[in-house]
Amino acid sequence: MTEEQKYMQFEEYNRTTHRIGRSASVLMAVLLLGAPFMIGWHFGAMPDYGAVFRAYLAIGLVWMISSAAEFLLYFPMLGAGGSYMSFITGNIINLKLPCAINSRDLVGAKAGTAENEIISTISIAVSALVTIVILAIGVMILIPLQPVLQSPVLQPAFDNVVPALFGALAYKYYRGHLDIAIPPLLIMCVLFTFVPSLISSTSMMIIPSGAIAILLAWRKYKKNSGENS
Amino acid sequence: MTVIQQLNSPFMYMLCGAIVFIVALICVLFLVRAWKEGLALGIEKEKMRRVVVSSAAFTVLPSIGILLGVIALSGSLGVPWPWLRLSVIGALHYETQVAQAAAEAAGLSGLSASEMTLGAFSTICLLMSMCIMWSLILSAVFGKAYSKRLMKGRSAADAEKGSSGGGFGDLAMTAMFVGLISAYIGSYVGGLISGNGRFSFSGNWMPLAVAAAGALAMAVFVWLSEKKKYSWAESFSVAGSMLIAMIAAVALDLIF
Repeated sequence: MTEEQKYMQFEEYNRTTHRIGRSASVLMAVLLLGAPFMIGWHFGAMPDYGAVFRAYLAIGLVWMISSAAEFLLYFPMLGAGGSYMSFITGNIINLKLPCAINSRDLVGAKAGTAENEIISTISIAVSALVTIVILAIGVMILIPLQPVLQSPVLQPAFDNVVPALFGALAYKYYRGHLDIAIPPLLIMCVLFTFVPSLISSTSMMIIPSGAIAILLAWRKYKKNSGENS
Repeated sequence: MTVIQQLNSPFMYMLCGAIVFIVALICVLFLVRAWKEGLALGIEKEKMRRVVVSSAAFTVLPSIGILLGVIALSGSLGVPWPWLRLSVIGALHYETQVAQAAAEAAGLSGLSASEMTLGAFSTICLLMSMCIMWSLILSAVFGKAYSKRLMKGRSAADAEKGSSGGGFGDLAMTAMFVGLISAYIGSYVGGLISGNGRFSFSGNWMPLAVAAAGALAMAVFVWLSEKKKYSWAESFSVAGSMLIAMIAAVALDLIF
């Protein structure tokens, strides 16, 4: 197959990915919004719309902004196929995103390439399926498993899944990019120390922290480009 | 039949199970298409196989954490609904927060099985679905146009530097990830120093200690992979480091 043919085929693949992704997203939105009404109809107890409205005003708007930021941030990182699946299956920050980045690094795929799109899609699909299978098995054996998993001795382990993940990734990513990593890390440490109330909105602070890192990366890139030219 | 028994009824399992099954089918469809396209583009089968093994290994531990989220919510919402919510769009940190707010708006004092009514339950379900819907809707409406715009930007940059990929886009994504990690590590430091009052140094030290244990374990895996040339160490480095860090959390909790 010539490069031109490969390009054409990949373009067609991408078009179909968007078609399937959009259809799947709409289907899931309809199913998820429809499920509470089906439950209400079945039990003869429909949702209290006033309560939904009040609670939505209290916390829904925050999640709306957070979702918009997630869409803008993660779509370029996960690729089209990976993004559609991630937005359908969730658990992006604590699972899908690090999983896809890990796979990309494992095979050395470069961002923006067809290989990256394929690797990211395979990685996220496998991750989502493994989660679905583990949850399904877990739900089936939930009752006998519950005492073990809820044992107070094991709770610190499961309460600290995210720090365990980010600690491991910090070593992996910081060691090659200390010049990019140190300034946002210091700024975030100072910010969270002086304004501890921000700790409950850490996911929102990814935006300024990421922006600082990208700015430093851009300066580094321009500097290296200038030296090479 | 009590409310919690109704929330665990066969109807609920069938409804939630059917939606989870559809999600699994969508993932299989994406996986098969990507695999075939990868082969057509000349990506080595061995490479893709390594991605499958590594992603599966990577996912096991966080999935058990997610399962714990299902268990945690099952006391007040039954098993099927939390199972659905954490399989579709949901996130560990999100569900409890929204369910709690919805329960309060529905007139309960909080998420509690003893106070739960069927009306409050359907209200909670609707709010949980509505709040997290937006990234799904945005990707359905703007995903294609956004993706085209990104590709266009990359093509122009690539043409300028005469390459077929990588460049600043690659570094920018690494930087974004570095920023993400920095925000979380920063929050652990801030939590320790000011978590119980500014500069009290009496906050929760556990997340920072666990992160340090994870970093240390990763350093060992990297050493095994790069210096000792054990190829397996790379595939299991993240999952292995997480496991070691989580064991460290249990040990530290028992000791201190």
